[in-house]
Amino acid sequence: MQTRTKLNTIGRNTHRKDGIGKVTGTEQYASDVSVPRAWYGGVLRSPHAHARIASIDTSAAEALGAVCLTFADVPRVKYNERTNCAPPHLYRDRYVLDDTARHVGEAVAAVAAPTRALAEKALRAIKVEYEVLPAMLCAADALKDGAPKIHETILYRGKETPIEHNVAVTRLIEVGDIEKGFAEADSIIEREFEAAPVYHAQMETKSVVCKPAVDGSITVWATTQSIHNTRQLLAEIYGLPLHKINVKKIAIGGTFGSSIQMNSVVPICVGLAIKSGRPVKIATTREEDMYDHCRYQVRITLKLGFKADGTLVAGHMKTTVELGAHNTQGYHFLGVIAGFWVSLYKLPNMKYEGTAVYTNRTPSCAMQGFGAPQATFVTEVIMDEIAELLGRDPVEYKLTQYRGLGDTFWGQGPTVKSIILSDGVPELLEVGAKKIGWDGRPVPGTQTGRFRRGIGMARSFHCSGVGQPRKTGAEMIDYSGAIVKLNEDGSIDYIQSLMDHGGGTCEAIAKLVAEEIGVPLSMVGISDVDTNTTVYDITTHATRGVFAGGAAALKAAKSVKAKILDYASQLLDIMSESLVIEPSEELGQGVIYCPGYPEKRMTLGELAKYLHVNSWGTIAAVESLHPVTAPPAYVTYFVEVEVDTETGVVKTLAAALGSDCGTVVNPGLAAGQLTGGLSKGAGCALIEAHQWDRQTGELASKGFWVDGKTLSILETPLLENLHIDFAHTYEPTGPFGAKGIGEASINPALAAYSNAIYNALGIRFREVPITAEKILAALSTKKVRRTQPAQRELVNS
Amino acid sequence: MREKAIVFEVNERQHCTTIPSHRTLLEVLRALGYVDVKCGCEKGDCGACAVLVDGEAIDSCLTLAWTVEGRAITTVAGLGNSNNPHPLQAAFARNGAIQCGFCTPGVIIASESLLRKTPNPSDDEIRFALSGNLCRCTGYTKIFEAVREMVLTRSGGVLR
Ligand code: FES
Ligand code: FES
Repeated sequence: MQTRTKLNTIGRNTHRKDGIGKVTGTEQYASDVSVPRAWYGGVLRSPHAHARIASIDTSAAEALGAVCLTFADVPRVKYNERTNCAPPHLYRDRYVLDDTARHVGEAVAAVAAPTRALAEKALRAIKVEYEVLPAMLCAADALKDGAPKIHETILYRGKETPIEHNVAVTRLIEVGDIEKGFAEADSIIEREFEAAPVYHAQMETKSVVCKPAVDGSITVWATTQSIHNTRQLLAEIYGLPLHKINVKKIAIGGTFGSSIQMNSVVPICVGLAIKSGRPVKIATTREEDMYDHCRYQVRITLKLGFKADGTLVAGHMKTTVELGAHNTQGYHFLGVIAGFWVSLYKLPNMKYEGTAVYTNRTPSCAMQGFGAPQATFVTEVIMDEIAELLGRDPVEYKLTQYRGLGDTFWGQGPTVKSIILSDGVPELLEVGAKKIGWDGRPVPGTQTGRFRRGIGMARSFHCSGVGQPRKTGAEMIDYSGAIVKLNEDGSIDYIQSLMDHGGGTCEAIAKLVAEEIGVPLSMVGISDVDTNTTVYDITTHATRGVFAGGAAALKAAKSVKAKILDYASQLLDIMSESLVIEPSEELGQGVIYCPGYPEKRMTLGELAKYLHVNSWGTIAAVESLHPVTAPPAYVTYFVEVEVDTETGVVKTLAAALGSDCGTVVNPGLAAGQLTGGLSKGAGCALIEAHQWDRQTGELASKGFWVDGKTLSILETPLLENLHIDFAHTYEPTGPFGAKGIGEASINPALAAYSNAIYNALGIRFREVPITAEKILAALSTKKVRRTQPAQRELVNS
Repeated sequence: MREKAIVFEVNERQHCTTIPSHRTLLEVLRALGYVDVKCGCEKGDCGACAVLVDGEAIDSCLTLAWTVEGRAITTVAGLGNSNNPHPLQAAFARNGAIQCGFCTPGVIIASESLLRKTPNPSDDEIRFALSGNLCRCTGYTKIFEAVREMVLTRSGGVLR
């Protein structure tokens, strides 16, 4: 392990800079922005899952004094709201407003009016005649021969391209030769899995404010994970030069992937502002938000071949993904499922067939884990089963097969390949097993009585960003920029457009900058920024914030430091190589000095002031960085559950969570990522599912947050039963040895819960959520089986 | 639309505002600029909109504004500010009980309401009091720790 000998702020718990604003209620979110004379915007949404707009009459709304927007008022520019994929892989299928509604809740028209009451009234006054079309509410219906088309054509590589059978995109990925691989296998196992769509349930719904200026420029405050992508897309749609669009960075009330793309209300609000010539604000309701996005519904069949000694020799995965009404990132999503799957364990021969299908439902988009929770679910449940068949401890067995130090791994799809240079898996599995009492776990299916306990484990990872060695030809755009500036008093401005979703990303990056330059953390300010004053950053996603965004800021900090040392060497008359900068808590400053020569010393403030009064200029640097690796941030879960066989309710009794995020920049905040991951992960494993009425296509929840609800504090394990550990690793390619953490923290949850419930009941669940109803149904039909069911289903080749 | 002028107090400031009968307290507070009161669902599901009415936490989205006539409302900004934070606010900041911070105003209000009624609550009482506040980010652990730390400090280190 390689580490820096002395670190001043990295690795210590520090209070986040935005903390006090958040606890005292002064932190501003997009929904809190108020602009003088702004009008209220509202959106009219389709009550039908699939309908053509035969006519739309806004005259009554306009007579009330409202400004109205329909498909006839917006540029006919087809776009994809998520622009992280490189253009050859962008599938454009939506307009700001269209003449066809493809899911219940899709925007049909919008209004802006001086008061909220008037906007509500104006919405009711719009008359729409719909020509209702047959709706395909599941993949099976959409794929049927002769099923009506949800999209006739989409814009792909500059051409209108027909969509056949509602199949948006397919992917075939092959490595080695599976025929040969399966022929060499001693045993083959094949299983089917399903993971339900889940609502992101971020606490803040989407809001946007747009303020037009007389010169035709606009300022936008929007709920988003990327201010630069929002700006670029608005420019593409409205034909404005980028410098005329300024998107402000503003706090976001949770996102979990739901705002990687530009939210659908953003261009609507801009359209209203441009048409009315006034500032307009739209704040969506919870119900509107629920109709706006969810996690992909995924069905997977996995066939694995292995030798008698457990060595995996071949795997074949078939995946069907339901996209909903728009293809936000189907191509990439199919790729990452394959990537996460084959990167968990060594598999010399693999074949992957993925199909993404349009349906008339809420469009899907990335949600924390993006394919990894589902790929891990399938893989880790099947590996648990194989271990059992082989009579081996799953932890021991998995350690013989996993991809670790020195192995190649894929991360986000086949173009994102790197070699693993840091690996904390063995350490985390050992610690977790000890803390949960793994060796004392029950034998599956041996318990009787109402309450049955079980322990399950699963391991996973997320790649830190989507970097790869080749800068061209990749599926994904992946770079960050940052500006670091030395102020005239020796303090530092850290200026970056990268978003912090609440995990403390910017805080962590400020620590990297402070550490590198050698100033106390209190001397680094996180600037309030916008697109006009920052350089490009792709998006905070794929757990890349600290690893990739931080690395860009570090690069800028290094260059600032070099300039500081250069100037200091001139002023102190000593070569710059002999100078060091260290933070002095006493002076509240960074101090430049030459060890052994006490007179060769000045504070950063003194240097900066000297440069200022003598007109030497400002020390600042702007840097961009594309990471050439995407190292795996490993996560391990051990969970202990108690299943109530009378109610079917599963309670989490204890959990031991492990994270290998390389150097831990802020331990307290990092631990918070894991507890948050467990809470969401347990929800997805046990309760949460976005469901639609099979007839109407309406959400079964009717916009309430209670069906498949977010877990509350009552369903969270007691503090004393929650163990969190970090691996002692150092990632050579990461800033100060750090890699990602946040997104990875949810990935093993589905599998860990399924395995724990199996351990308690002796019944395998391969469909999540594993609701109380499913448990009761399984208990009543199967009774408790003492034999191991999988053995009989095993095919020996 | 029926409207009437009602008088009420927010964070020790008097307001006299004309309000239509169907407006909720949440809508009115945010329109008056108290945007520290968050709107999470407007259906009573999430607790983000909690405020104290005469010292007791309520969901302002489920409260018609007319019903607070003559009463005193405290929002999270009324508990303390950055120069002089309320001990609970300080405990939340210290314990990292905040991530995105959107649930935080409601959670702090619910905690304060509990501690006013029950100065030395048990762990279960803390959990129950916060069970109406959803938080998607933290998994609640650090929130719980922050409230428990407050209780400990207040009771001189004795937990029930
Ligand atoms: S906004 Fe009031 S409970 Fe959610
Ligand atoms: S901190 Fe984000 S919802 Fe609680």
